[in-house]
Order: sequence, then C-alpha cells, then structure tokens
Amino acid sequence: MAHPAPPLVVARADLAALLFIRHFETALLELFAQGRVAGTTHTCLGQEYIPVALAPLLAGDHVFSNHRGHGHYLARYDDPAGLLAEIMGRAGGVCGGVGGSQHLWRPDYLSTGVQGQSVPVAAGVALHLQQSGRGQLAAAFVGDGTFGEGAVYEGLNLAALWRLPLVLFVENNGIAQSTPTDRQLAGTIAGRAAAFGIAYAGVDTDDVGEIRSAVGPLLAAVRDGGGPLIVEFRTRRLGPHSKGDDSRTPAELAALRSADWYARTRALDPVTFDEIDERQRARMAAVLADVANREPAGQWAGTQWAAA
Amino acid sequence: MATETLTIGKALNTGLRRAMERDDKVILMGEDIGKLGGVFRITDGLQKDFGEERVIDTPLAEAGIVGTAIGLALRGYRPVCEIQFDGFVYPAYDQIVCQVAKFRYRSRGNVTLPMVIRIPFGGGIGAVEHHSESPEAYFAHTAGLKVVSCSSPEDAHFMIQQAIASDDPVIFFEPKRRYWEKGPVDTSLGLDAAAPLHSSRVVRPGTDATIVAYGPMVKTSLDAATAAAEDGRSLEVIDLRSLSPLDMGPVYDSVRRTGRLVVVHEAPGNIGLGAEISARVTEECFYSLEAPVLRVTGYNTPYPASRLEEEYLPDLDRVLDAVDRSFGW
Repeated sequence: MAHPAPPLVVARADLAALLFIRHFETALLELFAQGRVAGTTHTCLGQEYIPVALAPLLAGDHVFSNHRGHGHYLARYDDPAGLLAEIMGRAGGVCGGVGGSQHLWRPDYLSTGVQGQSVPVAAGVALHLQQSGRGQLAAAFVGDGTFGEGAVYEGLNLAALWRLPLVLFVENNGIAQSTPTDRQLAGTIAGRAAAFGIAYAGVDTDDVGEIRSAVGPLLAAVRDGGGPLIVEFRTRRLGPHSKGDDSRTPAELAALRSADWYARTRALDPVTFDEIDERQRARMAAVLADVANREPAGQWAGTQWAAA
Repeated sequence: MATETLTIGKALNTGLRRAMERDDKVILMGEDIGKLGGVFRITDGLQKDFGEERVIDTPLAEAGIVGTAIGLALRGYRPVCEIQFDGFVYPAYDQIVCQVAKFRYRSRGNVTLPMVIRIPFGGGIGAVEHHSESPEAYFAHTAGLKVVSCSSPEDAHFMIQQAIASDDPVIFFEPKRRYWEKGPVDTSLGLDAAAPLHSSRVVRPGTDATIVAYGPMVKTSLDAATAAAEDGRSLEVIDLRSLSPLDMGPVYDSVRRTGRLVVVHEAPGNIGLGAEISARVTEECFYSLEAPVLRVTGYNTPYPASRLEEEYLPDLDRVLDAVDRSFGW
C-alpha cells in the first residue's frame, strides 16, 4: 500500500508515547522468543500512532479494544507495568492475570480477541451513553479482517438505526493474519459505511497532529447526536500477526519498514529523537525488571457465583 | 392471598411486569416483543405500559441483541432478551459463551452481568426443527452461566423475577408447549416467599422409583406417575428447575429411599444432562441403587419434521417403559 512519507513533526510527549509502545512491543516479542512468556501475543508495531493520536480525543469515553490492543491500552492509561504483569501472569496485572493479552477490563475499557464481538456490545454501551446525554461515545477498534464477521453488521445496523454515539476505528493494515485484504474483503469499508448511511472518513497520514485535527470534529458530531461514524486508518503492520507467522515477502516487509514513522521522525531531529528514544527504552527496561521480579499472580476462584 | 389461575405464558408476563415495576433498570429486548407482544405474547401489553425505551423491538439480530444487552448490563441495566425460538439462539452463541459467561471470571468478580436470556424451547407444537429444539445442555456445559427452566405457572411467575434479580447471567428456558397450561399463582407474594431459584423440588412424593425431569417433561412425568399409581407403583417426581448449578440434594435423598432413578428430557441423550445426573447419582448413591440409572430422552438425531415428532418426543409410555425396565433388574 502506498503511503505519503513526509517527515513527521511530533510533540515530545506524543513521541515519548509512540516510542514507549514501540519498545514495549519489541520487548514482548523478545520475551516470547526467550520463552519467558507463555501463550501468544499480537503486537501493534507500525500502528502505534493511531492510539497515540486518538487517546486525548477519547478521554471520557468507553473504549473497546481487540487482539492487537497493547497500544490502545498503553496510550490510554499510564499503566505499562499493569499490562506487562497481566501478560506475564505476575502480581499487579490489570485483571489479576486471568485476562492476559487479549482480555483486559477496566471500568471504561474492554478488549476481546474474538473478531467483531465487541461491536454489538459497544452499541449497547452507546445506547446507554445516548440516554445519559453527557456527550460521551463508545469507540471500538477493529481491523480490516474484522469486516468478515457478521456481528459487525448487526452492531452497525443497530447503531445506524438508533443513531447511537458509536465509532469504529478501523486499523486497516492490509493483511488479516496471513491473508491480504484484497483476498478477504469484497468491496470497501467506505462502501459498507455508505450502505448503512454511516458517516465515514479515511485517514492516510500517520501524523499525530493531523489525525487529531481531522478526527476531532468528526467525534464532536457523534457526541452531538449525529449518529455513528467509521474512521478507516490505512496503516502498516510491521511485525508478524502473532509471533513468527509472517507470510509476507522480505521485499514487502522492507517496503513497510521504509515507510514507518520511526525513521522519518528521527530524520527530522536525530538528537532530540535519540534522547527521547533512549529514555523510553530505559523506561521499558525498568518496567520489565520490576514486573519480571514480581511474584506470580494469585489464584482466583473464578467459578464462584456472585450470589447464591 | 390473591391466588389467580394463570397460564404459564401469562404468569411469565405478570412476572416480567413485576420486575419492571420493581426496577426501572429492567429493559426488555427482542424481535417483535413490543406492539405484537412476542410470537407467544409473553410480553403482551408491556410496551404499551412501559414505553418503547424499556420494551425494545430489535432487528433480526440475535448476536446484536445479546451483544447490546451486554453493553447495557455493563452500564447498570438489567436487560432481558427474548430469543424468539430455541433454534434462533445459535447466532448469539458466541456472545453468550465468549462474553456473557466470562465477564465475571475475567474481571475477577468486579463485573457481573445481570442479564436474562429467555428462550422458548422444546417441541410438541407441530413446528419445524429450529422451532422445536432443546439446546439447554450447550449452555449448562458453559461455566459462568446459570441455566434454569420452569414447568408451572407459579414457578414461571417467580423464577423469571428471580432470574432478573440475579446478579449473574441466567439462561431462562421456557417450556413452549406448556405455555397454555394453567395453574394457581399467588401474585401478591414477594420473591422472599418463593423457593430459591437454584433449587430442585419434589413435585410428587413417591416411594418406589424416582423420576427427574425439567421444563416440559415435568408434566409428562407427572402423568406417568399418575398412570403408574393405577398399577400400584408409587413414583416420586422431581423437577430440577435449575440446570446449572444443579441442586442434587433432593435427588440423592430420593434415590437413597427408592433405589431407582429415571431421568427424562426432550434433548438428545448423547452427552446430555441425563448423563451428568446419572454420573453424579452413581458417584453419590452407588450402594443405594437397585438398578442402573436409566434415561428417557429425544433421539440422537436432528429434531424431526413435525409429522414425526410424536415418535421423537418422550411420552408417558416411554417413561413407564423405563420404570418397568428399572424394576426388571
């Protein structure tokens, strides 16, 4: 997928957030490679700018994340140790170690690894937010592959029918696990939005400030009762779907890496970039050292009922 | 006392009405449940009295209905979803099994989903297979769900209210072929007068053999007990009421007295609730048993065309035959 690749001007705090997510995900893949983490994981390498751009726009809203959700969480909450502990099954995890990488819960945040499953749930939350009339919205992150799932369309139909404050942020990275988007998706995501009468915007830039300027007014319209919205980010997945399962050619991967925000941003001001980069790398190392030394997460008798 | 004679369908309606009067967070959702009052009229008149925001007609979208209900439950509501027919719950299965059942576990008990999914189930109305199925074992097998079934107007009236009051999700199976059966209900009583939701109950005492059933098969079993009495056999009939968690105490007590057990359900026998009950009774009452636990169930086939359903459905004769076989040991 062709992307314009201008140098990026990024505020220091945003750059720090971008780089921290990059180092978190990189460290996670290393931990798996070393056999220090069990199970599986899906990293958002290359896509970090989307949650970083959106986080301040969604501060009081209800966010639904998916299997590729570490960036969504890290950009929203200053809690990297909580996430890493959750993934590593150590004390202090977001969900005490019972949720893991893909099933996080906080009072206004929820993730699930099953594709499309969150869309109707987000519609239900949006129905409540609409009735409570405080201008909040429900936002769900989905991928291009998610549009193969029927639950997405049931949720979109309800949202459009009832004009719910529901936003789908589509991270279209051009590939669903190992299947290129043009081999798994008929038509377009814009066409789907049009079919439901849902507002749509496509985003090709990875400039955090530009994204905020473009998306902010669209979210304001949703908050004002304008009905649901789909924002499609055409982005890049630099890493494998999970671990070591990348089906793309070295040439394809090289092209993606050359378009990545990291090198372009560094080129603009290497000294400042390197300083922030090193600080975030050290921060990640400190988080890892902290979490890796913690006790295993405690047992929880999850089969008990809430009430007799 | 304000005892009325109600059908099971009407008793569910009065129970839903009570729950909605008691708590304005109770919201009903489903296909054609508003103006029409549902295919079986269980929600008849409720939209008129409580408004379109509390009795919501939805698109044909079972995953959407259950998913939306999850979202509402997360925000403090107590949604009650109507699945129009048993066979329509499968599109919502992902939401129920992967989300509804697991929230409490994943959140370490911080989040419970107080929602009810009502499903008319079972055959006997001359309908097609996806209007006649008994899918309860799929749900009872799933940790994190509570599963119940009512068999009388009194239980229908109170159990639906108890299910709505539960902080955990409840799959509520309604015996659709019995919707029109009548019985006394004291609608003036509060929930504290009702038996606990997850309790089984002896509905006919007896001494010679025990019959365990739930939902539509309770009436069949009671009819069989009446017929057996004419032959001098005293059958004790237990209505399980709760399919998960199971309340096995009354079953064990009964089997220890009678020494014989027949389990009856419409669902296919293969890997069904009858197998679980049989296993538990064998584990707990082995030395009391005079005969193997026997099962009377639907056959291990898809639900048949309506002209064949009388062959498929367990009936009085098949229950009595099993009792005879039990005594033949």
